[in-house]
Order: sequence, then structure tokens, then C-alpha cells
Amino acid sequence: MNSHSSIDILKTKLSEFNLAFLDNEHNPLLQINQGDLIAVCKILKTDSDLDYSMLIDVCAVDYLTYGEADWKTNDATSSGYSRAVKQTIIPDANETFVERFAVYYQLLSLSYNRRLTLKAFTTEINPPSVPSINKIWNSANWFEREAFDLMGIHFKGHPNLTRILTDYGFIGHPFRKDFPTNGNLEVVYDEEEERVIYQPVSISTRPSVPKVIRDNNDRE
Amino acid sequence: MTESNLTLNFGPQHPAAHGVLRLIMEMDGEVVKYLDPHIGLLHRGTEKLAEIKPYNHSIGYMDRMDYVSMMCCEHPYVLAIETLLDITPPKRAQYIRVMFDEITRLMNHLLWLGCHGLDIGAMALFLYCFREREDLYDCYEAVSGARMHATYYRPGGVYRDLPEQMPKYQANQYISEKKVKRLNYNREGSLLDFIEDFTDRFPSLIDEYETLLTDNRIWKQRTVDIGVVSPERAKDLGFTGPMLRGSGVEWDLRRKQPYEVYDELDFLIPIGLNGDCYDRYLVRVEEMRQSNSIIQQCIQWLRDNPGPVIIDDNRYASPKRSDMKHDMESLIYHFKLFTEGYSVPQGEVYSAIEHPKGEFGVFLMSDGANKPYRMKVRPPSFAHLAAIDEMSRGHMLADVVSIIGTLDIVFGEIDR
Amino acid sequence: MGLTNKDNEIINQQGPGFVITSVDKLVNWARTGSMWPVTLGLACCGIEMMHSAAARYDTDRFGVFYRPSPRQSDVMIVAGTLVNKMAPALRKVYDQMAEPKWVISMGSCANGGGYYHHSYSVVRGCDQIIPVDIYVPGCPPTAEALINGIIELQKKIKSEESITNE
Repeated sequence: MNSHSSIDILKTKLSEFNLAFLDNEHNPLLQINQGDLIAVCKILKTDSDLDYSMLIDVCAVDYLTYGEADWKTNDATSSGYSRAVKQTIIPDANETFVERFAVYYQLLSLSYNRRLTLKAFTTEINPPSVPSINKIWNSANWFEREAFDLMGIHFKGHPNLTRILTDYGFIGHPFRKDFPTNGNLEVVYDEEEERVIYQPVSISTRPSVPKVIRDNNDRE
Repeated sequence: MTESNLTLNFGPQHPAAHGVLRLIMEMDGEVVKYLDPHIGLLHRGTEKLAEIKPYNHSIGYMDRMDYVSMMCCEHPYVLAIETLLDITPPKRAQYIRVMFDEITRLMNHLLWLGCHGLDIGAMALFLYCFREREDLYDCYEAVSGARMHATYYRPGGVYRDLPEQMPKYQANQYISEKKVKRLNYNREGSLLDFIEDFTDRFPSLIDEYETLLTDNRIWKQRTVDIGVVSPERAKDLGFTGPMLRGSGVEWDLRRKQPYEVYDELDFLIPIGLNGDCYDRYLVRVEEMRQSNSIIQQCIQWLRDNPGPVIIDDNRYASPKRSDMKHDMESLIYHFKLFTEGYSVPQGEVYSAIEHPKGEFGVFLMSDGANKPYRMKVRPPSFAHLAAIDEMSRGHMLADVVSIIGTLDIVFGEIDR
Repeated sequence: MGLTNKDNEIINQQGPGFVITSVDKLVNWARTGSMWPVTLGLACCGIEMMHSAAARYDTDRFGVFYRPSPRQSDVMIVAGTLVNKMAPALRKVYDQMAEPKWVISMGSCANGGGYYHHSYSVVRGCDQIIPVDIYVPGCPPTAEALINGIIELQKKIKSEESITNE
């Protein structure tokens, strides 16, 4: 599993596309534009030197709060640390930066015993979208439905893009960073109406351990 | 006279549904025309909850995903954290992890065999398989305190070393001393002695199960040529594990991308020929035999090589409690670990292992904090269940039950 | 005809009487001796429930025998996390059971949301949806703990006055 040789082969085969090899010592990670996604994937699957025959995973990531911490740990101010109580973030539509959502694809080549990770940012804001690669690898079907359900990313060309994991009639996309962990609605049985009804949620989340970003300077 | 298809709801509460599965079936008489699985009836939002807890607090969530093979689900999560932290557990810890992974593989396949048999109608098998599982639960309990959700693996190794004594049956007003002595025959030594006795008995027990099923005419009629998947379709649909090997593709992460100490162990990988339910049954039964032999090799190594089971580095692994009580440095490390937790450097990694059901992977992304930024789990049964429509077209209703059984699905990991 | 208010007062002072309490005891003995649960294993606790029905901790010796259909059962053991999407189905199964019926909530997820209490999609305790008689704590409760819960339910039923109140 020599990642350097696989990177060289990828560079030659995909030289016509605008791509970036991100420095990742763990798995080779290739960032491409979402417009090139289908063309690149076709080459990755059909080319006999590459032969990435399996799509293992599709993962959507929301970069809204990347690098933000509850407590600033580098210098203590004269007023001391603040209480780590976080409010739900509701981003302003104009302020939303374009590169908020990214989709990671994990590919596997059985014949060459290699893994590859593809990363594509979505470029449209409302709704964020990326082409669907269901026609190339059928395993993308349910993984893309899940990414749509939980993050709200539209996959153009998907045969059946509907909710899969969340409740029937659920509103919102739960794994976005601006969706509260407790949710907005909860379920209870109403004796008078003799059915299960939805009511606003009654508990509040207070994080028990605040998020802290520490730069471990003692690492060699 | 017009004919129309019958729409049937194979509801969430059903003894053969293996958990909470709702299948909307369109049938033409007894033959399936179209299957629409509705999942999400056990969607608990584990990945979202993992984003609000420090890394070690989420190891328990991983146990509860595939709740029939617990430690194998903790394993890729712990491996991912170790990759990002750039630490390696000591060799003894790796052997213990491999041994418990294989014990977990036995647990999974025993439950699969018992429940698959129960759904198809071989009810005696359920009791036999669960009798073996109780012994394996005793192994989990001896090492971690809990029968099911052990939370035993930690980044840096495992929680504690294997115990020298096994819990024993005790005499009381209902059980005489003589009977207790007979029941405790394999609990007189350490945990390794108990496991060794189990592995000595186990091959003859697998022979018993095979006597019941393998050449049984009814079993063959219910499983041969049901749910046939060709190797190309299996790869395209994202199958891994016994589903892929049953169709003839030679792919096992323990051999191809070895992790821990699998490259030092000697075992074979069974491959099927036709890709039907019967072949997958044979593959899993043979995997049980191979796991048995791996466990025996691990026991031999563990007996000969004592040593530490977790790394020495107190930034990530808690110091010993006795040290914490008199040493200032240990106290500080203990305090920081149990209040805030360690911070993992920025990066993202996908780490996968050969889970009994297939390839169970964890994609972990960190922004330098003490909590994960994004944790995604790649469950093997998710891709397998997506293919149920294609596998069941043209089969009859009773075959759908066989196919659900052969897919070996567990809703804890599908719905997360 | 019928009992006057004064007669009722006398009965309430003296208690129901020998015959009715004996019939009560007989009925309760019959009910606790064969409690048939409906299979509602939702998550991990369902596996421990299966273990309690298996060879080592046999619940069949208590008369507990799992029935797939709610129409034929008297107990519902809610084993596992109850999720918002599953809640209407659970209520429907409960409504289909015939009187008298009891509910055992098994495990911390069914008791009060458990490990997933703070999640957006989890019902914080199955008692939001159905009335519960016995709560069995644990994550998961061991098979022995579940058998303890069944025995506690038997004690509770034995102390009920089934005939007297009708």
C-alpha cells in the first residue's frame, strides 16, 4: 500500500482536472471541484491501472464551527474564564460562507489493495448540492440519501432522494451545526386525542464538558 | 377482472424482523415484486451526541451500535484516535484486542446462526447457540465487569489486564456443593484457562450445529439459490465481509490490510462459490472454526509474554490510581484527563476493521479540540440492507425471511 | 334490590369477605403463573431479553413464553431505546393488547432516555407513551435483573385486588 506510487499514478491519469492533493499522512486525500466529480469518478472506476471498484462511504461535513472553542485556553484574561454555556448558532443568510459543506468519498481498489479519499465542496448555498455518483457505484444510493437527510445536501441525479433515518415529516437537517442537539420537537401520548402528538422540547442542553482547543506543545 | 398488487406491511414489531425493520412489500400473490425498507426506527443520533462529548466518553456509544458484536465496534474508533494521536499500544494490548475481536466474531456468528435458524424454523439451534454465548459473556464480564457493553478498548491499549481468577458459582440452599464443584470445573484457573477450555470444546459443538443443518434437506431447500448475488454486483453494491466472500471475492481486511497483530497469526479465509444463502452460511460457520484457532494462538502468546496493556504516556492514558494518590504529576494528569480529556491534533482519518458483518469503518475529523468535530460510522449492514430489494425480486415471502437472516443486519448500526 | 349505601359502608368496613379474597388469590395466581410477553426487542436490551429466555436463565420455568402477536399476550417488555419514529407503532401494539395488561420498561433508555437522553430523536422514557408498571434499571440490565423485574411484577399483580374492584 505505497501511497506515493498511487499519488503519482493519479497525477498522470487525472492531469486534465484541477485538483489538489492534501497533505494527509494517513490516507491519500484528493480534493476536486464538484463539477468534475462525475468525470473523475468514471476514470477512477474504469481505468485498469486505478480500478477503484468499490465506494465504501459517503460522509458529509459541516464546517460552520470548525476551530471554534468554548474556552480560550491560551491566555487567561484578568476577568477569568467565561461560563461555557453555548447558544444555538443561527447563521445569517448573507454571512454564510460558501465553503460550508463538503462531501468525503472513501474509495477502495480490491485488485491493487489501495484506498483513496475524495473531497468535494458544495458550491451552491441554498440548497448545497453535488452531483450524484449513484450511476457509477450503486452503493452510493443509501449513503447519499443519508447525507441529504442529515445534512441537507442535494445530490443531483439521485433516483430517490428522500428522508431515510429521521422521522416521517421531520423538519430540519439534524447534523448541521446550527441544529440543537436536543432537537425542536418531542413526542408524547395525548390522552384526549388518543394518539401520539408532537410538542416543543422540554429539556435544555448545557454541555457538561466545554470544548477546548489545546495546542499540545509538548509533542515532539 | 382486474388484478392488482397487494401491498403488505412487514411491520416494525415482528419476530423475524431482527430488530425494528419496516418493509413495505408489493406482492403479486406470494411473489415479491418490490420491497421498500423503511429504516430509522432506531435512529438515536449517536454521531451528533459524539460531537458534544470528549473522545473517551463516546467509546460506550460504539458498543451500542452493533450490539451483538460489541468490542469489534469499539475497535475502529479507538484505532482512529490512535492514528490521529500517533501512538501505538503495547504488543500485549494488541494481542488482547485481537483475541477479544475473535471472541466477538464468535458471539456474532453464534447469534446470527441461532436467529437465522429460528426464523427459518430450526428452533433448537437458538438454545444451543445461546448456551455458548453465555460462556463468552462470562469472558466479557471477567475482563470489564459488563456482560454486553464492555467499553474495554481505550486509545493506547485496553482498560486493564486479564484477571487471574474467574467468578465462580457458589453453593446455596438450591445447589449442593457437589454440583457447584462440577459447574466450576473450568473456572478454577485464570481467564485464559477458561477461554482455552472453551476453545477445546468449541469445534465439537460446531460439528453438532453442522450435523443439524449442513446436509439437511429442508435447510438446503430454504437456502440454496436464494438471494444469489454475483461478484460484480456485490462489489458495486458495497458488500463487504461474508456477503462479499460468499460470492467468491477474496477480500478480508485481516489479510489484505492487516491491523494489530493479524500479520503474525496463521488462519485461512473461507470463500463461497455461488453467492446464495447456503454459501454464506458455510462461510460463516467456517469463519467460526478459524476464529477458534486464532484465539488459541493468542492464548499461547499471552501466556508466554506478560507486560503492560496500556501505553505509559499519561497525557492519553490515565495513571495508576495508587500513583495518583501520592504523586503530584500523576494527580494533575488524572485531573485533566477526567475533567477535560486529551486534545487530538487537527486531521481526519478513516479507519476500518474486519468486523464480523463486514467492513466497519469510522471517519473521524478533529479540529484540535477535546471533542470530535465529525464522527461518521460506516456500518456494513447499511449497504447490505440497501440491496434487499434487488436480492428479493422474484422470490416468495418466506424467502424474504431467509434473505433478511443471511444479510446479518442489526439496527443499532444501520440507524445509529 | 341491590345494595343500599348503608350496606356498602358495612362491606367497606369489614372488607370484601373470605370468598372474594380467595377468588382474587386464585385469579392472581393464574395470571402471574403464565405471563406471556409480546416480543418487542428494540435494541441491545432485546439481546439480554433473548438471553433471559435461553438456556441459562430460562424464563419458561416462570411461565413466561414470548408470543409474536399482541392479541395473545398480557405483558409488554419494552426493551431498548424508543425513538420518535417508533412511538406511534409502540402505542398501536399496546392498544392491541387485551386487558389485563402490564408493561415492564427494561433498561435505562426505556426508563428515561438513558445514554441517549439528550438526543433530538429519542423519547425520554417509554412512560411518555404508555403507562409503565415496573422499571428495570441497567444498561443493559443483566438477564438476572430482568428476571428480578418479572418477579417484582408478579408480586405487584398478587397484591392487586382484581375481582373486588370490578
